[in-house]
Amino acid sequence: MALLDIQHLTQFFGGLRAVSDFNIQLEHGEIVGLIGPNGAGKTTVFNLITGVYTPTKGTIVFDGQNIVGKKTYQITQAGIARTFQNIRLFSKSSVIDNIKIAYHFRMSYGNTDAFLHTRKYWQGEQLVDDYAIDLLRLFHLEGHADDLSGSLPYGAQRRLEIARALATKPKVLILDEPAAGMNPAEADELMEMIHWLRDKFDLTILLIEHQMRVVMGVCERIKVMDFGETICEGVPEYIRNDPRVIEAYLGKGA
Amino acid sequence: MTFLRRHRTLATITAFVLVYAVIKTLNLTGTLNAYYIQLIMLVGINVVMTLSLGMVNGFTGQFSIGHAGFMAVGAYTSAMITTVWLHTSTANPWVGYPVFIVAILAGGLMAAGAGYLVGAPSLRLKGDYLAIVTLSANELIRTVIRITDVLGGPRGLGGIPKFTTLEVVFVFAIVSVVLMRNYLFSSHGRSMKAIRDSEIAAEATGINTTKQKVFVFVFSAFFAGVSGGVFAHLLQFIHPDNFSFVKSLEYLIYLYVGGATSISGAIVGPAIFTLLPELMRSLQSWRMVIYPLILILTMIFRTEGIMGLKEFNFILIPQRQRKGVSA
Repeated sequence: MALLDIQHLTQFFGGLRAVSDFNIQLEHGEIVGLIGPNGAGKTTVFNLITGVYTPTKGTIVFDGQNIVGKKTYQITQAGIARTFQNIRLFSKSSVIDNIKIAYHFRMSYGNTDAFLHTRKYWQGEQLVDDYAIDLLRLFHLEGHADDLSGSLPYGAQRRLEIARALATKPKVLILDEPAAGMNPAEADELMEMIHWLRDKFDLTILLIEHQMRVVMGVCERIKVMDFGETICEGVPEYIRNDPRVIEAYLGKGA
Repeated sequence: MTFLRRHRTLATITAFVLVYAVIKTLNLTGTLNAYYIQLIMLVGINVVMTLSLGMVNGFTGQFSIGHAGFMAVGAYTSAMITTVWLHTSTANPWVGYPVFIVAILAGGLMAAGAGYLVGAPSLRLKGDYLAIVTLSANELIRTVIRITDVLGGPRGLGGIPKFTTLEVVFVFAIVSVVLMRNYLFSSHGRSMKAIRDSEIAAEATGINTTKQKVFVFVFSAFFAGVSGGVFAHLLQFIHPDNFSFVKSLEYLIYLYVGGATSISGAIVGPAIFTLLPELMRSLQSWRMVIYPLILILTMIFRTEGIMGLKEFNFILIPQRQRKGVSA
């Protein structure tokens, strides 16, 4: 059975059909891309999966459990983590605190321990500090641990956002335009990192991306959307040559 | 290492005790008369009020503007308890003080209850609803007290035994500041700041933001309630108009001028602006010109408040040294 199984997902905003009968099955360990022109409904799909919106119709089954109607934080706790198109770090918190915040729901101590700084508090803090610094090290961010996250360079902020998502120990990672604003060299690094992430953290990855080079280079399977409809699906080589895709992106040939 | 950290909490307490010692000495030598001592006690109460408001407004990024309402709930609850129970036996401190402590804690709990009623429905929503609801709640509470005869109604409630001394205020302020400081330096405190910076991202990292916001709002109301109790047993007479929206506004001023995102700011703000009008007394009417002028200048030149994001050293809990990390 698929790890993430989405059937007949449909979302209306008033009279606008943003997503129409969207289906996708993610098998464990896959890297799948979701592409399409602006306004095609890709980010809406992400927002539906992560519970920001409740779909008008359709089912989302994750790990054998229907997650439609669950709150965003419950879906994250269940094992689906995401990053954002426009980076949303906790900019007034330090780099390491960004990671620790994502660890919060697994934290072993409660409100009373927080007020009184009990032994349980110190144990929990030590544990999370070790965990966070180890994770930062994997992303080459340990040297910036105590800097404000808002002061990091752009590329490092992108890496931190991914590291933060991983700190929730997800099974599925959803990346919303991870290469946005990156130059070709940075994009190459990112592609390498996505493969490495999948292997190292045993992830299944779903990503939206506009840079075709990245999508084609990293995804094993691609789904193309336009005006809320799925217009094409397949391996990168197939997508590249499909006339419907070319039409959606470039318009009808004369 | 653990010793050093405990040592830090000791440092916080030491700082407060030193301030207390100086004030007490000046009092005993006659430099500070009873009037100034009362003023200093008000500073202590205002510090706790401001810091508890800062928990919601500064650190969680919500906008509550009716904090005096919760103070009123605590003041009236505790005053009712002590005046009804102790009208004859105030002379015996062994009976008086335990009842006083129970009374102010009961006041805190009542205020927390009120905080839950106000916060639970409005914090579910994102945006400015909380401001409108807290403002209304503040006036609602004041009006209910005004028309309730048992509470003294528009005449106010007098005959409250005087339990609040300089020592009581200091112990109260130390305990409150340390508890709230501890909470901020915890996983829960980090979550508060996460909600402030980006509520959407906080949800996406698995934080139940509604629950966290309501909890902060409730304990903020609790501390406001206890402050109200301490306040009532200082003045010995309380009036519904003591807790009007104007009072709430004062706390907002203390908070934002001191620095809403700093514990130290919540100490500096009320300290300066409670004492300043008195220190400028010789300027007579001009002080009402200078006071707002100082506010305006602070906001222009230090938008984030006097302290900004900075903390006094004795407030901080130091990060532990990590092995094998080159900064």
